[in-house]
Amino acid sequence: MIQFNYIAAFFLICLGFYTIVTKYNLVKTVIGMSVMDYGVNLLIISVGYTPGGTAPVFTAGELTRASYFVDPVPQALTLTSIVIGACVTAMSMSLVVRLHESYGTLDTREIRRLRG
Amino acid sequence: MTVFLTGLQYLGYILIFPGFLFCFFCGLLLTGIDRKLVARMQKRVGPPLLQPFYDFFKLCGKETIVPAAASRTTFLVAPLVGFAALVVVQLFIPICGFSAFTGMADIIVILYLLLIPALAAILGASASGSPYAGVGLSREMVTVIACELPLVLVLLAVAKAVGSALGTGLCFSVSEIARYQVENGSLITRPSMIPAALAFALIIPGETGSHPFDTAEAETEICEGMHAEYSGAPLAIFKLTHAVKLLTVTSLFVALFLGGIGTGIAAVDGVIVFALCVIVTALFVSFVHAVTARLKIEQVFKYYWTVVSGLALVSLVLAWYGL
Amino acid sequence: MNLTNMMDYHHYPIYAVMVLFLGAFLVAAGGARHSKNPDNPAGARAWIALCATGLSLLFLVLLVKPVMLGGETIAYWMGMRGIAGGYAIGIALEVDALSLFFALLIATAVFVSAIYSIRYMVHDECVPQYYVLYCLLAGGVLGLVLSGDVFNMFVMVEILTFAAVALTAFRTKVYGALEAAFKYLVVGCMGSTAILTGVILLYAQYHTLNLAQLASLIPGSMNDATKLAFAFLYIGFSTKAFIVPFHPLAADAHGAAPASISVLISGVLTKSGIYAIIRLTWFLFQTMELGSMQFMLVFVGSASMFVCVTMALAQHDFKRLLAYHSISQIGYVLTAVGLSSALGVSAGLYHAMNHTLFKGLLFLAAGAVLHETGTTDLGRLGGLSKKMPHTTVLFLIGAFSISGIPPFNGFASKWMIYQATYQRAVETNNIGFLLATVIALVTSTLTLASFVKVTQSVFFGQLPAEYENVKEVPFGMRLAMGILAALCVLTGLFPNTVTSVLTEPAARAVASVGEYISAMGFKSALPTPELSFAHVGVWAPIKWLLLLCIALLALTIASLAGKYDRVSAPQEEKTDTKYQLFYGGERSVYSQVGGGDLFWGFKHNWRHYFDFMHNLHSGVVNDYALWAVIALALAIVYMMIAL
Repeated sequence: MIQFNYIAAFFLICLGFYTIVTKYNLVKTVIGMSVMDYGVNLLIISVGYTPGGTAPVFTAGELTRASYFVDPVPQALTLTSIVIGACVTAMSMSLVVRLHESYGTLDTREIRRLRG
Repeated sequence: MTVFLTGLQYLGYILIFPGFLFCFFCGLLLTGIDRKLVARMQKRVGPPLLQPFYDFFKLCGKETIVPAAASRTTFLVAPLVGFAALVVVQLFIPICGFSAFTGMADIIVILYLLLIPALAAILGASASGSPYAGVGLSREMVTVIACELPLVLVLLAVAKAVGSALGTGLCFSVSEIARYQVENGSLITRPSMIPAALAFALIIPGETGSHPFDTAEAETEICEGMHAEYSGAPLAIFKLTHAVKLLTVTSLFVALFLGGIGTGIAAVDGVIVFALCVIVTALFVSFVHAVTARLKIEQVFKYYWTVVSGLALVSLVLAWYGL
Repeated sequence: MNLTNMMDYHHYPIYAVMVLFLGAFLVAAGGARHSKNPDNPAGARAWIALCATGLSLLFLVLLVKPVMLGGETIAYWMGMRGIAGGYAIGIALEVDALSLFFALLIATAVFVSAIYSIRYMVHDECVPQYYVLYCLLAGGVLGLVLSGDVFNMFVMVEILTFAAVALTAFRTKVYGALEAAFKYLVVGCMGSTAILTGVILLYAQYHTLNLAQLASLIPGSMNDATKLAFAFLYIGFSTKAFIVPFHPLAADAHGAAPASISVLISGVLTKSGIYAIIRLTWFLFQTMELGSMQFMLVFVGSASMFVCVTMALAQHDFKRLLAYHSISQIGYVLTAVGLSSALGVSAGLYHAMNHTLFKGLLFLAAGAVLHETGTTDLGRLGGLSKKMPHTTVLFLIGAFSISGIPPFNGFASKWMIYQATYQRAVETNNIGFLLATVIALVTSTLTLASFVKVTQSVFFGQLPAEYENVKEVPFGMRLAMGILAALCVLTGLFPNTVTSVLTEPAARAVASVGEYISAMGFKSALPTPELSFAHVGVWAPIKWLLLLCIALLALTIASLAGKYDRVSAPQEEKTDTKYQLFYGGERSVYSQVGGGDLFWGFKHNWRHYFDFMHNLHSGVVNDYALWAVIALALAIVYMMIAL
């Protein structure tokens, strides 16, 4: 049933794109970016999944040919990706706060001093 | 000893022929002929043939005034750099089979070297601080842009036509093009090159700022535009640059399209090329000058990017398919 | 490990990256308090940053001999964990001539900009934090180009995007800085997500993240998933290179950031994007043999060239104008690389290098103007050449270089690009390459036009009364500009040296994918091709300059003999009316022609185009995000059909 994970992952990424493109509120844009990020995280985890595999935690003595666990690399990648996602959210929210202070609005259609 | 003699020979090239002295005399003479011809076409008596020489020497004797608002160094250096660069371009243009310096530049380089005199004039004008010069330089720059596209197309067409004839696919070297024409006759005899030659001929008045494309100078509305604040010797050098540019562009036309007409003796060829330059000037500068009125700058731009570029494009397409 | 082992040059790449991150850490450890010295608010922390960038440059310069001249490819496994069971399990750095070429550009720009920053940032708040972010940005970009691991490339992309966004918004009071940073963050984040998705799709197919191993596995086994990954990666790195359709972000970010950061964003970030695209198309997927890929890169490159140069013509802010020109020049690089000929790659890399040098110089000059006058609005400036003569000369060198005026460096590389495109057009009998040649030639003239506009509106013309007391910038800033200007002239005068030492080894590395793979310890049957860098044109800058100098000397002697400089009265007597400007009898008022008024004759004919483009670049972040999504969709469809 891993296909559902892939479908859900790409659905989340597309949902993120959709939110960023169509919503005119800065906070919603940030939410869209987060959703997009979750989609990618789900994708990474699904790639490393092996049916019936256990957690890739072992000590040297236990490692045999018969050891059967999920791919550890994507899990490490996901951790990195989650950290980066949190940073993106923090950074963009701080920018939103400052933007609201100086423009007095959260509407993207009014935050367009730089154009042309 | 031979090194010394070679050095002397090259110095001769730079200073006498086809360098400074040749440029000075032929350029001013060509301008004189142009002025006389225009006057005769308009049923005026016109100035004496040597009037540009008189003008030049008179201006040299006048006081040079640098406006208080100007940036002095740029204002004074710009005319010198522009003229020197133009003379160097003239050194690269072959006279029939003869060229003073081979293997130093190709037609793309010449295209960009020809920008330097215009750029020098623009910077000098800009440095003068005059609003008239500001308007003038803006128009000069637009004229340069206008001429650039058709010129590029013409040069690419020539490069392709000669290249495919030589079997190398492409030929950018001017001396190669000149040699090809000495062996195989002028390029203008090839059907694909006729529109390109016509386009180039129409570019000559634009490049040299002659009627009806002299919007950048436009004595009657913006007081000679770029030269509004110039006086004395710097103005004389600008006038000289102007005259030599006419010679350079027409001789480039002759080198590209009417090459191969000559005897093989450099001095005689010089005379022949100059005669051809006079004919080209008479047809495409003097005649056009006499029968047209000055265009507006946006008309100049439109004309070059539609009619003239169209002609050049036809030529490029024909050359592409090997005609 | 003993000292001689530690100083083995195989360690230098990782030192070059780590010294920057270490610098960032040390600066941060120094705290955020401003020191008492008003000329250097960051105190020793600024010198730490400078030393870090300098050391990093030194390590890379020491690598020139083995890598560029010796042709060695350095494969470096972190912690000595290499290959197990045929799979790369360690994290690798791989430095071939291409990586080193870009790393050198980056390190040079970073070092020069650090010199400039010390005096430039004196009026700002939070200067120590600036140096932290500065070192992070530099380390991120350097890590990206030296990495041999595709996931590490993604991590470095994130680090550099973060630092760049934070630095864009660094001057929060600057008009539009926050807004620019937010837009950059949103679209940049979409790009990063695309890169990560692409990386994961590749991992799912091949179970490795090592670039060399991927390069050995992918080409024989392309399927729909790898094509999808390619599209995602291409779009992701396009956002980092700011090529069309991501150019509005560049304009916003470059314009709003401090000038020393604009140098990095324009000269360094865009290069990292180009580097990644070269790695992607030439190495990972090896698709450059396909006409469809050549078409795509040349098309995108030419579009970037032309669209951005016309957008630049319509600008009336100094830095924003320069920003659009950056992308226009990146278009040249991409076009040349997309030609897929040895000469094209060499010319493109040459232009990439020149772009870093002259655009850095121009941004620093713009920063100098901003530093002294407090504005970069072309409509309000004028006549600064009399107050800032050195800056003017340095700016003019940069302007001539970017406009491709011989004998400066921009001309040498653009001239090679014209040759390469036209040669390619004739070889393949392809009208598309011919069109690219014409666009490249015309774009060059339009570039000249917009720099004439800047020269007239900022440095020449009339001086507004409010700038009567403007001074020349401090020596530290002029030194940084002087270094770049000297490099601009030198690389223009000795094109053969530059190509034989730097760009041709790099171009050779681009073509020899097999060596890249086998240096890492993987099997590759790819042959090393014979390359020809021959071109039909001739250009001898030194001889030309010699001729020009002789001609100029002769002319100067003649004119001095004719008392050319007999400029009458001394300075104090210039109250005489003959020294005033001519106004045709009107009252002499301040009348500066410049800014948006210039080139009316050109814009009038193109008014529909300019109106259309102005409305298209609406400044709304949703629109730019939409462009990104459309670009991604188009890329996916194109890859599915074309590959």
